[in-house]
Amino acid sequence: MEHRFYFIAGDALSNGITGMAIAQLTTSIVDHTWHMATAMLTGMGVGMGFSMILMPVFVGLFGAMEVMLPVMLTAMMAGMVFAMMDTMLELSIFEVLLGGALVGILVLLLTYVADALLRRKSL
Amino acid sequence: MDESTKRKWDFSSSFYDLLAYGPERRWAPQKQNLFAHMNGKVLFVAVGTGQDIPFFPPDQNIVGIDISPRMLAQAKSRAAEYNGSLDLRVMDIHALEFPDHSFDQIVTSCTFCSVPNPVAGLTTLRRVLKPGGMLYMFEHTGSRVFPFNLMLNLMTPLWKPIGPEMNRDTVANVQKAGFEILQVNNVYLDVVKTIIAISPVETT
Repeated sequence: MEHRFYFIAGDALSNGITGMAIAQLTTSIVDHTWHMATAMLTGMGVGMGFSMILMPVFVGLFGAMEVMLPVMLTAMMAGMVFAMMDTMLELSIFEVLLGGALVGILVLLLTYVADALLRRKSL
Repeated sequence: MDESTKRKWDFSSSFYDLLAYGPERRWAPQKQNLFAHMNGKVLFVAVGTGQDIPFFPPDQNIVGIDISPRMLAQAKSRAAEYNGSLDLRVMDIHALEFPDHSFDQIVTSCTFCSVPNPVAGLTTLRRVLKPGGMLYMFEHTGSRVFPFNLMLNLMTPLWKPIGPEMNRDTVANVQKAGFEILQVNNVYLDVVKTIIAISPVETT
């Protein structure tokens, strides 16, 4: 597992910023008039598409696959979750940004766990 | 010479170092460990802009090739600083201009995500490698694990026009080319890995 502070901080920053940006973007597109399933699919698509724009900056600074995979997952999850929530609840911008950042950090932690498990499977 | 691949990497050479800053620093310890095996006459495939050259152990006899003249032009300053013999040449991996069994070892670094026909490329490497010679690879590949395999499959068509494919089964390709796999180490998930293989001695 990564132990250098620069890269751990970079991973957290990449996923936190991506989560916040995608959550904010998704809630600005979707509202309570949308059907939940349509909103979730739209959120996932918006997340995936927008993560491609953010990715080159984070890749250049912090790593390739170690950045691309969790950032794309974060974007999909944040888009889906906040699209769903926006069809049901009135969310403040603070709640959207905090929630987006938390989704990013949670996805990152799960990816670290997957990395630790898969590294054990080396031949 | 594969002109479309050459053009792609000539184009990418203008921004390659900008995108490679983070990855090269992140992978530096694992690459240094792998390259520490270099010994004898070594072929380094796909030198690119020479980002890997600072990780080479000193006093080695290395021939470095790349399909892109613009990439190699950028690699020259890094090659000049190498403390050993490093000969850079423009060459297509599918049509290596070396006689059979020319090298003791072959080393690749993020190469077989981009070679248009990976099994043909690896078969050509086997031709120029001495029987019993070692192949050391640092590569990113596809994943067998959901959701990473889905992500890599989605990313491949977007990245392919300017860079690598994300979903290749390079370990299987190495075996298809006739190498015997000795070791596979996962560096990140089951996506970034080091592969150590040997060109078997043919017995009749």
